[in-house]
Amino acid sequence: MSITLDQVTKRYQGAPVVNDVSIDIGDGEFFVLLGPSGSGKSTLLRAVAGLTAVDHGRISLHGRDVTHVSARKRGVGLVFQNYALFKHMSVADNIEFALRVRRMSAAKRRERRRELLRLVALEGMDERLPTQLSGGQQQRVAVARALAHKPEVLLLDEPFGALDAKIREELRRTIRQVQRELGITTVLVTHDQEEAFALADRIGVMNLGRLLELGRPDELYTRPTTRFVATFLGAANLLLARQTRDGLRFGAADSLPGESTPGAREHEVVAVIRPEEVELAASQAGLSSDYLGSGTVDEVAFTGALEAIRIRLSDGAAESLLARTPNGEGAALLEVTRTQHEQRAFSIVPGQSVAIGVRRIHVLPTPLSSFTAYAHTEAAAAELSRHALLQELATRMKTRVSVRVLEAHATISGAAVIAANPDSVAQIEWLLRHGAEEVLILPAVASAPQRVLIHWADESARSATLAVAASLLRHVAAEGIYVGILPNSTPDGQRPQGMRALLDARSEAQAVHGLEMRTELRFGDVADALARRLAESPDQILILGISQIAGIAERFHALLGSQPRWPVLVVYRPADNPP
Amino acid sequence: MTSWRQPSVLPGFGLTFGFTVFFLSGIVLLPLASLILMATSMHWREFLAVILDPRAIGSYRLSFGASLLAATINLIFGFIIAWTLVRYEFPGRKIIDALIDMPFALPTAVSGIALTTVFAQNGWIGRYLEPLGIKVAYTWIGVTVALTLIGMPFVVRSVQPALAEVQRDLEDAAETLGAGRFYVFRRIILPTVLPALLTGFTLAFARAVGEYGSVIFISGNLPMKTEITPLLIVIHLEEFDYKGAAALGFVMLVISFVMLLTINLLQAWGRKRLVATGH
Repeated sequence: MSITLDQVTKRYQGAPVVNDVSIDIGDGEFFVLLGPSGSGKSTLLRAVAGLTAVDHGRISLHGRDVTHVSARKRGVGLVFQNYALFKHMSVADNIEFALRVRRMSAAKRRERRRELLRLVALEGMDERLPTQLSGGQQQRVAVARALAHKPEVLLLDEPFGALDAKIREELRRTIRQVQRELGITTVLVTHDQEEAFALADRIGVMNLGRLLELGRPDELYTRPTTRFVATFLGAANLLLARQTRDGLRFGAADSLPGESTPGAREHEVVAVIRPEEVELAASQAGLSSDYLGSGTVDEVAFTGALEAIRIRLSDGAAESLLARTPNGEGAALLEVTRTQHEQRAFSIVPGQSVAIGVRRIHVLPTPLSSFTAYAHTEAAAAELSRHALLQELATRMKTRVSVRVLEAHATISGAAVIAANPDSVAQIEWLLRHGAEEVLILPAVASAPQRVLIHWADESARSATLAVAASLLRHVAAEGIYVGILPNSTPDGQRPQGMRALLDARSEAQAVHGLEMRTELRFGDVADALARRLAESPDQILILGISQIAGIAERFHALLGSQPRWPVLVVYRPADNPP
Repeated sequence: MTSWRQPSVLPGFGLTFGFTVFFLSGIVLLPLASLILMATSMHWREFLAVILDPRAIGSYRLSFGASLLAATINLIFGFIIAWTLVRYEFPGRKIIDALIDMPFALPTAVSGIALTTVFAQNGWIGRYLEPLGIKVAYTWIGVTVALTLIGMPFVVRSVQPALAEVQRDLEDAAETLGAGRFYVFRRIILPTVLPALLTGFTLAFARAVGEYGSVIFISGNLPMKTEITPLLIVIHLEEFDYKGAAALGFVMLVISFVMLLTINLLQAWGRKRLVATGH
């Protein structure tokens, strides 16, 4: 491995900007770190370069642990967005800088400089000053300068950010060529998914300091596992669907054969439909793919090679399409792109009715598909649905918050939400008995969590609890902490077993969900210990996994009995029916 | 005329140019001309006698020597102060930043009295220097201290914006290329702020040469030893010897002009060399 990052964490004023990131980058690989601004990708790159010290974790370059090695001794080449050329030096002196520092002879320096200038196609520019060059040329000089001392690793921090589209593409090609020619391990940081696709052997997508997903560009595009990656890499329509034994059902529409998960009981899922996987025809009979529903064309825009269309669904799947805001303000429109070929076969105009078919649906393997606020009256439920924390979670998870009245019978979809009240336990019980798998209890005042505490009281709820925790942690900038609890009566001889359970939980979280979490060991009664842990600071949320509904009031009296004071997300999976 | 005009956001080249000429002539050139005229109206023998008087020559040496020394001290310490203020975030930074300008605002006589109190033989600092055989007040050292005080803001204020402009990225880049701290300072930071540093030096020097108020309190004004040229001029004036005063003023004018011109030319040459060879 050329670059190994192991649980790298960087905090800034207490808040993690890089949160437990582990990556292995192979020799000669072109790796792209992709993410929106503020996702921690540049900080991570600076940590690899040695310009930023990490608070936790290890960084190795070619097997050498460099976590505490200074930038000047790491042997990396770094290219900045604003070029960072030494303006008072000529191109030649800029490129030879690293060689001069190493006291290389003038003749050797000149030879190396020639070689580098040829590599970046800037022959004969030796005596120019940076200010006499165009932006693209300056960045080429910066690349040559970063390669002068034959670094083992080349790091590029948004290198095309300041350039216009045409130059950008040209420079992109040069960099790819240089990288191939030298076979140098390269890490590039960008927020531009097109750039990432064009350059990367592998992409790591970051958000809120976490590495969400890692994989080949085509893998990440066709089979994303998170909502964030699905919508950040290219355009995506997100729909809520019910996964049934026959396939996927969108709203009132008939079931479509989807990627089925055999053995699973019926539950709500989030489906991704890429705009190019939608087929349009005049009638259902004219479709060659599975029928999703019908709709009216709202908008048609010509964008060159492709035609961008937005369609208002009129039946079937209409209510399953997720709008951009969790309140459902503004009707959700299905985004469709069509090639010239498709346009010629069936041309459409705004206002026209069309039949919609889907060629390919990808189901995200994430729990917490949507939220439903429950209360005894519609008004109270509506008020709960506007809870700040709930709205924030829903916005970040790009999902919706629906409103339902408690004890009115309906199928329960997604995570149920109730307001903390003296009667919480009874309500939780009712919801769980009526099909809810997750219940979130919200006190009136709850801020965005800094720490997510994780505990499962029953072993069979373990993997579901971890999946829910992983899903939540991808959407909030918080630390995950698994709280292991041993009874006070545990004899000393058995304590190592408790430790082993902690480590097992941690490695499972990492292996199965790509989730890094800390672990803590507490002693005492489960509910008491958790309540005490929650009382330590206000900005925490507890994810509690259980697989028995009976006796919940007695078992968790300290946590849920009287009016709960902290946000608690109960994850229920019955023991006999593994998810 | 019209060919000199450049399109500009502010209209009225005629008006602004008129003002420029008026102010320069009325406030700078005319008084200087009268000074020269007065000096040249003397007989040359008389003129030489005044300006080559040993007491006068002693005063030139002190005035220009102490000013150069003070400006050099300011060059070094002013840079360090500016560096601290630009690069570090610490409690009280804003207060220190405001304190820098104090010597500008204080009447110079006040700084002179304050310095004398501190550095006199029984002053707060003077009493500890006395046993070491170092006398500050009433010696050339005192003069240098006073001139350093009044010149310091010039260096700090010229260097601060230039330092703030040295991008951290440049230092980071140099560091990843293997350069140590001193190398980065010498090859990256210093060349970038050198013009501003020289400007600050020039301003501090010019101010020190013309300084009067603060020095006369701390210098003790011993003829040949701690007497600065501006004081000698005042002494001539008090004796109603206007011509003698003008003659000394003329000499100061010439020496200052030559020195400032030299610094400016050096600076221009340095900039050109920097651009030409990249060093």
